[in-house]
Amino acid sequence: MQAKEFKVKWGMVVDLDKCTGCGACSVACKAENNLPPEVDASNKLRTNDWMNIYELSNEKPFPDHEVAYLPRPCMQCGKPSCSTVCPVVATLKDEEGGIVSQIYPRCIGCRYCMAACPYHARYFNWFDPIWPEGMEKVLTPYTSTRPRGVVEKCTFCHHRFMAAKEQARMNGEDPTELAEDAYIPACAEVCPTGAIKFGDLNNPEHEVSKLAASENAFRLLVKLGTDPQVYYYSKREWVRKLGDNYLKNAKGGEHV
Amino acid sequence: MGIDRRSFISLVAGGVAGSLFTPVIWKSLDDVSIWTQNWPWIPRLQYGEEAKVPALCKLGADAYGIQVKTVAGRPVAAEGDADHPLSQGGICPLGAASVHMLYSPSRVKNPKLKDGSSFKDISWEEAEDLLAGKIKEAGAGVAMISGDETGSVTDVLAGLVGKAGSDKTFLMPGESAPAAAALAMIGGDGQVGYDIENASYVLLLGADALGSWGNVARNGKALGASREKGVKFVYVGPAQNGTSAVCDSWVPCAPGTEAVLALGLAAVISAGGRDRASWAGYADFAKFVQSAYAPEKVSEITGVSVDVIKGLAQELVRAGRPLVLTAAGAGQGLGAFEMAASMSLNLLLERVNTVGGVRILPWSPKVVESAPEKKALLAADLAGYLTSVAEGAVEAPALLMVHAANPAYAMPNLAKAQAAIDKAGFVVSFSPFMDETAAMADLIMPDCYAFERLDDAYSPYGSGQPNYTVAGAIIKPVYDTKPAGDVILSVAAKAGLELGFETFEDVVKAKAEALGADFDALVEGGPWLGEEFPVQELALWATPLKEIPVTAADGKSLALAVAFQLKVGSAKVAIPPFNTNAIRFNEMLGKDMYVLMNGATAKNLGVKKDDAVKLSAASGECKARVRIFEGVMNDTVVAPLGFGHTAWDDFSRGKGDNVFKLLAAEAEGETGLSRFATARVTVSKA
Ligand code: SF4
Ligand code: SF4
Repeated sequence: MQAKEFKVKWGMVVDLDKCTGCGACSVACKAENNLPPEVDASNKLRTNDWMNIYELSNEKPFPDHEVAYLPRPCMQCGKPSCSTVCPVVATLKDEEGGIVSQIYPRCIGCRYCMAACPYHARYFNWFDPIWPEGMEKVLTPYTSTRPRGVVEKCTFCHHRFMAAKEQARMNGEDPTELAEDAYIPACAEVCPTGAIKFGDLNNPEHEVSKLAASENAFRLLVKLGTDPQVYYYSKREWVRKLGDNYLKNAKGGEHV
Repeated sequence: MGIDRRSFISLVAGGVAGSLFTPVIWKSLDDVSIWTQNWPWIPRLQYGEEAKVPALCKLGADAYGIQVKTVAGRPVAAEGDADHPLSQGGICPLGAASVHMLYSPSRVKNPKLKDGSSFKDISWEEAEDLLAGKIKEAGAGVAMISGDETGSVTDVLAGLVGKAGSDKTFLMPGESAPAAAALAMIGGDGQVGYDIENASYVLLLGADALGSWGNVARNGKALGASREKGVKFVYVGPAQNGTSAVCDSWVPCAPGTEAVLALGLAAVISAGGRDRASWAGYADFAKFVQSAYAPEKVSEITGVSVDVIKGLAQELVRAGRPLVLTAAGAGQGLGAFEMAASMSLNLLLERVNTVGGVRILPWSPKVVESAPEKKALLAADLAGYLTSVAEGAVEAPALLMVHAANPAYAMPNLAKAQAAIDKAGFVVSFSPFMDETAAMADLIMPDCYAFERLDDAYSPYGSGQPNYTVAGAIIKPVYDTKPAGDVILSVAAKAGLELGFETFEDVVKAKAEALGADFDALVEGGPWLGEEFPVQELALWATPLKEIPVTAADGKSLALAVAFQLKVGSAKVAIPPFNTNAIRFNEMLGKDMYVLMNGATAKNLGVKKDDAVKLSAASGECKARVRIFEGVMNDTVVAPLGFGHTAWDDFSRGKGDNVFKLLAAEAEGETGLSRFATARVTVSKA
């Protein structure tokens, strides 16, 4: 299948040498995108968590052991496996910027996309989203709440992209030439160590394009040909190596 | 036979391939989506004018400025405040969940009075009259515990206790107290801070600076910036954690012995030939560390090899602006002598009172006359007091008031702390949440939550520069709660103990004025920053050091390393509803928490992955499961603090066990401070 090219290609570079796995990005993502709180989130087969943080290990015994943390949003693949299998075209990559969309009212919950996504970045709503009484007042106006029975995923906080374009139009600027800090997703914004960088991978002025070009940058499972728009960065070779051998023994990321 | 959702979908989806160009299938698929999504209730979004309001978050280890996004005046999300020195745009996982806590199922919605084994609702007037009466009755038998070191509400509460003629004012355990005592030992007087941003080499002796210690968000920003500048961060501690994951190296060191390593480093450095003969106290200091902390002995106690000790000492000496931060794994539990070890090492490196080093900050100005000086407040030891009360060595308070603290959950000698609270004549909780202490209280006068009240914070522990933040209310109280500061002032007046202020706002205004800050500007956002650091004559050995007590290995028990992860809460808050997802599958299985040990240790104990175990110490027991994690030293078990709540709500109650039960406090003879950083536990199959 021919991949669509975009003039602007939003991308993320996560510096794994700065990520402490603290969880602030996950929490901020849930809050921003109106994911409901879950009483029991230890069963990762049923949780809904667009930004999931994995723990990586070099698998050596003490004292040679090393650990790293890997936050995993949707990779916004250049050649997405998810959209090609969707029977109702609920997910598509066709908008300028190269973000893979997910249209909830159209989703029939067949979960083909989840089976197809090699990154476990898609989540099925097993349960009615329930907010403790009163907490629905904290819903943001940015992302519609999704019913039980649909699949959802990270959208690079697409609403922030829309808002940035709107703002640019209001300022009489070109919405296709957004400044680097005009559009930053919630997770990147809150990260206390600045591990998550965001910008236009096609714009040589943007830090992400420089970071992505580094010899220490890598992407997850590129050998599958999905062409992810999320890059990772680490000076540690063992971390980079794991990138193409995705979490060999990891549990907790898989879905039913 | 009903057609279930799954078979219906597969039926329809199966017929889809190849027929995408007919409109019929589109129409029917539309119907399918309507049908599959047809379920009872889904909240609708509410729109409105958007704004960002500066606020203060005190849920974690640190108080720092955040920005709260509002929609039509409703707070909806929090993010870091780029203009706040302690956040610099970053936020910790508790701050990220702070807005939702407004509507936490644990909120106490109105004043409550104990009624048998439950509570009955009472009015604010009844509650205030009742408390005023109790204060008059109790007189000097009043005591208070606050978990807020930085805010003026603590001053007001301490002022009330002082006015009643009592000196029983206590802060929850933290590191400010031993740090201040350690500074006093070298002749200083003030609050201890660390200029981490300007250091060129950072040695974290046990300080989980990027996970749970000190100004977490600020420390994270400093690390992020330092990567480009090539500043080296070295983490020394018993186990790998988020901090070690991003530091340049991890040096395994037996839990609670990091201060011993500091003295070992001082021994090597002082033996290094540089002439410091003219320094006051140097000769005695050098003699002490070199005889008591020779590298071989330090190596034996800490598990750090002699080569590594010498290597670290060399790196410190060579680095232009090294900074040594010492802390206990949980950000509390060190004694003053342990802090003094680190302070002396910094002094030896000429890193105290200097850019990129340890800074001495002026104490927060005292505005409530009858409150004790901050230094005196820090010197009062809560763990020791509660233990004495429980043991009957001192009289139980007739009235105990607890503010912004949860001593029934987060104290060493936990069983004794709970027993002491139980023995108190009358217990008042000002908590906005039904925490363990509130659940034990006789009267709950629920404080407003952070975003519903005026609050302030003066230089949280670790701040490299004096700072003062004030935040106004963002939203009217969502329940029938009142700000503790105002309630205490009003009750004090009713009890005939005038504190000199009518409203809490007046207290904050007075503090702003004392600092030379503009109250109105503060409320609008933008903290006050102080530029003045007291200049002090410091000297090594101004108070002679002594050997740090270490519990020796006995071949049967394991060294316990405790760890706080802010995502699961702090000493003040339980797991916020929005943070359960951030708990990894290898941190909790159902309701069981995991403790970590390496493969060799597990083999010695005869336990395997996922085995249910019991951790036992003299002071209590905990249940857990075993996770094999190779980033832990031999004969060491890592246990997470922050689980095992018995009050709160479904998001936190009954999940895991409370590791505070395993921590026993012992008093440091000279300073009277409690230390509880080292503990040994036996681990057996449950
Ligand atoms: S990561 Fe998965 S869900 Fe995201 S675009 Fe790629 S295949 Fe689709
Ligand atoms: S980009 Fe937005 S939606 Fe995606 S993980 Fe980050 S916060 Fe969540």
